[in-house]
Amino acid sequence: MEDPDSSKQLPLLAHSARIVALPRPVARVAAVVPESAAPVTTLKASPSLWYALVFPQLAEQTPSRQQQILEQLAGLAQAVSATISFHPHALVCEVRSSLNYFGGIEVIHDRIKSTLSEQLIACGLSGDFLYSASPTVSGSLLLARSGQNCLVYRHENLRSALGQLPTSVLELNKEQNRRLYNMGIRYLRDIWRLPGDGLRKRFGSDFVNLLHKALGSAPEPTRNYLPPPAFLTSYDLPYEVELVERILPVADEMLAQLCDFLRRRDLSASHLVFSLSHEKRSSTKIAIGLRQPSRSREHLSMLLETHIANLSVPAPIVAVSLEVKKFDAFMSHSDHLLLDNGAVKPGYTDRHLDTFIEQLQARLGGNPVKSIATVAEHCPEYACEQRDYNESGTRGGIRRTADNPVASNPRPLWLLSEPVQLVVRNGKLYHRKPITLVNGPERIETRWWSDGDIRRDYYVAREDNGSRLWIFREKTGAQHWYLHGFFA
Amino acid sequence: MNMHRTPSQGLKPTADKAYSDAARIGNDTGADVAPTDNVTAEPIDRLLYRNPNLWRGCDLAGQGNHGRSTGFPQLDAILPGQGWPSKGLMEIITPHWGMGELQLLVPLMRSVVEQGQWILWISPPYLLYAPALVQAGINTEQVLVVKLDTSCKDALWSMEKALQTENCGLVLAWQNWLPSKVLRRLQLAADTGNTLGVLFKHHDSEHSPSPIRLKIKDSPVSQGFNEADITVIKARGNFRPLTTRLKLYQHARQPA
Repeated sequence: MEDPDSSKQLPLLAHSARIVALPRPVARVAAVVPESAAPVTTLKASPSLWYALVFPQLAEQTPSRQQQILEQLAGLAQAVSATISFHPHALVCEVRSSLNYFGGIEVIHDRIKSTLSEQLIACGLSGDFLYSASPTVSGSLLLARSGQNCLVYRHENLRSALGQLPTSVLELNKEQNRRLYNMGIRYLRDIWRLPGDGLRKRFGSDFVNLLHKALGSAPEPTRNYLPPPAFLTSYDLPYEVELVERILPVADEMLAQLCDFLRRRDLSASHLVFSLSHEKRSSTKIAIGLRQPSRSREHLSMLLETHIANLSVPAPIVAVSLEVKKFDAFMSHSDHLLLDNGAVKPGYTDRHLDTFIEQLQARLGGNPVKSIATVAEHCPEYACEQRDYNESGTRGGIRRTADNPVASNPRPLWLLSEPVQLVVRNGKLYHRKPITLVNGPERIETRWWSDGDIRRDYYVAREDNGSRLWIFREKTGAQHWYLHGFFA
Repeated sequence: MNMHRTPSQGLKPTADKAYSDAARIGNDTGADVAPTDNVTAEPIDRLLYRNPNLWRGCDLAGQGNHGRSTGFPQLDAILPGQGWPSKGLMEIITPHWGMGELQLLVPLMRSVVEQGQWILWISPPYLLYAPALVQAGINTEQVLVVKLDTSCKDALWSMEKALQTENCGLVLAWQNWLPSKVLRRLQLAADTGNTLGVLFKHHDSEHSPSPIRLKIKDSPVSQGFNEADITVIKARGNFRPLTTRLKLYQHARQPA
């Protein structure tokens, strides 16, 4: 069998002007440029060129992190290629179609090298990576993995270029490696001397398939990178608008476009930002967050109106733009089949309430709605907790704490956030009117382990004007009386 | 012209008409019951109460059962429909906070929560204390509080929106001086959302359009801790203010 190696490749190395060596110091230039043939014919011969980027440093990361980093890198690699596929610790981009545009693989490499390195360093990894280009996906990966950062333009040269690689690049298991070693096979070119049937019997069809793929004689299905959806639209107003309400028709049109976009992609949006641009000023942003992702135009425009209702702009508006910050999969709402059945408890879904709370947030800002829960605590101030209704899992959390034991003695519905000191005049307690003690004392001694040591005697009392009070007397210090709550 | 005048002369004030109708029905049924001359006022009342076909236009107190029970039988007896209205706006007037105004609503809150609806407290004057709610048997999961320091305008806006929201069963707010225009707007919102809104106030305003106004009176210290006088100043259907004395704190654990 004739060795395809070197016979054609080596002489070509002499044409140094023709060698496209990728600029990397450790690179061993192993492959080679087309001969004087015109690039057009080369294109015909091999319709695609795959540029493989291997990131060996990813091996230490968890699979989900690997995928996350690869997604980010693929986003950057989109600058040079439209077809990017994922492989273990590697990305492969199709660059033949953009070769002419960029003016060569070197330019392409220069273009993405620094951005990829920066991204890798930002992820806390080393910025180096291995790369190669060849007419097949697996071939490029094998070449890149071997650390020979080389370029093979032509399909005919692929076999020889791959032949020089050690068998370790195939990433076989231990047993297969041992067998290959025992057979005296160190390089891929040794494998190519062996008969295909025998190889299939000894190493399985996966092994043979891999070699076929690398040589371009078997199809190579790939999982391609799909860029995440993005929606950004803007509209320059024909004249300056001073009243914010005037942008509503424009915004409504944008929302209609957005809803159309979402419906086509089976998505819904959960965070949008409207920007109102001004002349010579930074733009006003209106962020709309949704409690439940939506793609209903009425819902979104209702929220926008609420936001706009108490918004003032520093300058006239010249342009409006809408951007979606967060997409979610569309989840449709299903009704009960037996809704009319009288036995079914009226299904109060939280949807209306969610809409209401969204509106409230839009109007009041922040998290205006709180839910309350009891806490197993002796100290009255700490026995009640206010939480943001928004917090995910809030309701589950409360469900758990709902069983918290509460004090058996009466507790007031109103609690003062800060106890109010009462005055004693002529041996009588006064708040606004004289106070008579009704019931007590209930001693609460707690928190001695912290700075706020609490020793109090609580009484139920009644003011002369009819208010029912919850008052206490400090057992420490000056023994002042305080008002702490109302039995409303 | 004559043709027009005759029917308009025939129209009498509604009260008169009601009485004349009552008289007619009384004649129909009463002919074989008793002669009219020796009947005292009380059996007539009883007779009138007994007849379900009879609408006693001037005084609906304790009539019908379209209301939600207040949990206090004495109070039910002086409210039209024997209970709180199922929707609309209600005003509770207390000269000071802490006179048992929330105790009055505890049974209602409990039933609202049991129906799976939400209770919304819009910027209450003090912290709402969860252990007390649990003691009163109200599930705190269904209770939401809009933060304390909300401005009046925003609080009213939230109240209107909340009243329009169907799964808010009860909306409580604390606002003192509200023009009747605002109250009418809230009333309208409550009607659309089928919700009951309660406004707590310090002062009564005579011409308020709310269908129900209640007042908790200052009571002397000599009176028991639990007891309070409640006056129904106005209730849609009631003819005159009615007062009753309730044991307010019976639902919570009582102080001895």
